[in-house]
Amino acid sequence: MPSTFCRKAVLAAALCCAFGIGQSRANQSAGAAPPKESFRTVQDETGRSVRIPIPVRRVVSLAPSLTESIYALGMEDLLVGDTEYCDYPADAMKKHKVGGAINPSLEEIAALKPDVVLVIKSLNRPETVQQLDRLGIAAYAADPHTIDEIRSSVRRLAEVLGNSAAGETLDASLLRQETALGKKLRGVAPKRVLFIVWTDPLISVGKHTFIADALEHAGAISVVESSQDWPQMSLEEMVRLQPEFLVFASGHSEAVSRDVETLAERPGWSDLDAVKHRRFAVISDAVNRPAPRLFSAVEDLARQLHPEAFTEKSETAKTVAVTVKN
Amino acid sequence: MKPLTLSRLFLQCAILGAILFCVMVLALKFGAIHVSLYGLGRDLLRVFLGQSKQISSEYSLIVLNIRLPRILLAVFVGASLSIAGTSFQALLRNPLADPYVLGVSSGAAVGSIVALLLEPHVALAPEIAAVFTPLGGFLGAVVAITAVYFLGRREGRIDSNTLLLGGVITASLLSALIALLLTALPSSNFRGMTYWLMGELSAVPSRPLAWVLRVGFLIAAAVIYMTASDLNLLLSGEKEAMHLGVDVRRVRIVVYVAASALTGLAVAMSGSIGYVGLLVPHVMRMIFGSDHRILIPASAFGGAITLVIADTLARTIAAPSELPVGAITAIAGAPLFIYLLRRRLA
Repeated sequence: MPSTFCRKAVLAAALCCAFGIGQSRANQSAGAAPPKESFRTVQDETGRSVRIPIPVRRVVSLAPSLTESIYALGMEDLLVGDTEYCDYPADAMKKHKVGGAINPSLEEIAALKPDVVLVIKSLNRPETVQQLDRLGIAAYAADPHTIDEIRSSVRRLAEVLGNSAAGETLDASLLRQETALGKKLRGVAPKRVLFIVWTDPLISVGKHTFIADALEHAGAISVVESSQDWPQMSLEEMVRLQPEFLVFASGHSEAVSRDVETLAERPGWSDLDAVKHRRFAVISDAVNRPAPRLFSAVEDLARQLHPEAFTEKSETAKTVAVTVKN
Repeated sequence: MKPLTLSRLFLQCAILGAILFCVMVLALKFGAIHVSLYGLGRDLLRVFLGQSKQISSEYSLIVLNIRLPRILLAVFVGASLSIAGTSFQALLRNPLADPYVLGVSSGAAVGSIVALLLEPHVALAPEIAAVFTPLGGFLGAVVAITAVYFLGRREGRIDSNTLLLGGVITASLLSALIALLLTALPSSNFRGMTYWLMGELSAVPSRPLAWVLRVGFLIAAAVIYMTASDLNLLLSGEKEAMHLGVDVRRVRIVVYVAASALTGLAVAMSGSIGYVGLLVPHVMRMIFGSDHRILIPASAFGGAITLVIADTLARTIAAPSELPVGAITAIAGAPLFIYLLRRRLA
């Protein structure tokens, strides 16, 4: 019976295979980017040290919010690639696409030879960062959780990309916008709102998200106090809490109006006073992205929730609105 | 059927190996970035001649550092799942048995997720942190198969039908647990984990982890292969095998643990890729017969070939985005399974 010999033979063959794998792996580091003249090491917002070339010439963004930030900073010339979801501003859609934010193509990213790839912790996968590390491609991660952190995050991003001045200017203008809004809303009692991410099932936002913070800046307070980021809420609990306003994020306010009419006829929803009296606000879906455009969305929400605060001193309000549009 | 001789075994393995090699070369060619077959051939030749320094760095980055490691991962995962499937089918003498039906994959997924969620909260040495997730996957797989094993025991003996049903129930219980873990825990990367659960091969292991996988795979596969003759005798029934001098209890435990280890490692690296462990052994049995001395290596090659092809499709169909390879294997596998089932009934 040749079986013992068979075993040995197959084992030997398997070992050869494994050795072959080992060999090919040994070449791996050879393909890293050619050395640049100078580098500096920065800490990203998740605490990782990232080695970034000076100057940064080619950037790939793996999140719509980061793409928006780069455009807001006026640094779009550095952007050589972004994701299929990067749709704002319209020009961002013309950039080379490297796939989705969750499932980008590593080889598309590598072929663009980026000096740095930008990711955001709340959206991109840790595996993507790990694979970029393996290939010796610098990956800088942002991780803002509040309105103020979005400002500082954008300023840091500008600094990392080599244009601190642009970051400071944008930060200052966003801060002005934030302070002006804060002044208007001073003394205004915050409205208790339910931010609706999804209606079936009802999904809202948790207290540690930047959206919850954005609501507070708009003179609202979320009735949901979950520590999960995207909690699924029971309608019963909402009927008990009776939010004063429902807040929807959508590009189409007519569609939301229709949805609310449908909700008004459904059990549970029809018991919500906000639905009964059609008290809801629709703001731009920019509120879903931790990027500079969020500040305008916040102001827009504040206007809908507290119109009385915006009637007087309409002159200043107009100037702010103009800056927003720019 | 002709008796298996060493030369036939070698010949058949060599043919399968050659097919796998061709499939791997083609997989190296296809991807989001265009690579010409001529350039690829020239570069592969240079690699074999040890002149890899002459390859342009862009080529080497995309073909050798991105595609090749991923293809090797597909080979490893495909072979692991198929060997595990072959082993479970032999042990239980039931062609429906595979790591998914038995709940082993779900157990490995729960273990991996728990490890992923625990990782930020426990201080670990970097060497341990690198292998923490596969370790969780392995433990989850072993716990699941142990539970299913005890569920399947009736009056001190294993009843193959009870065991299979126990596996199905365990798998559905564990899937519910996965859903709870993913939604109930704060700040888990829900989208990323859901994508991973569908089965995908984008996370190529770092070097220490790659060694753990390689060594683990070789040990487990070798251990299972050592029992090939015993598995052959088991096909005729447990009592008969016992009369022929097979230590059924020992074979059972050894193969369960080794096959669970293979499943655990594969799931930790790639999430739940279905149908490979179920279908590949079937097809290989139709071609090569049910002698496990050839069936086990043939399944390993077959699983590797299948998964490399499936992953190449996953990488290219929606390029530049990638699809989860588990969806590809399920879409191709389910109809094939139904076809085989109907043909057997007819």
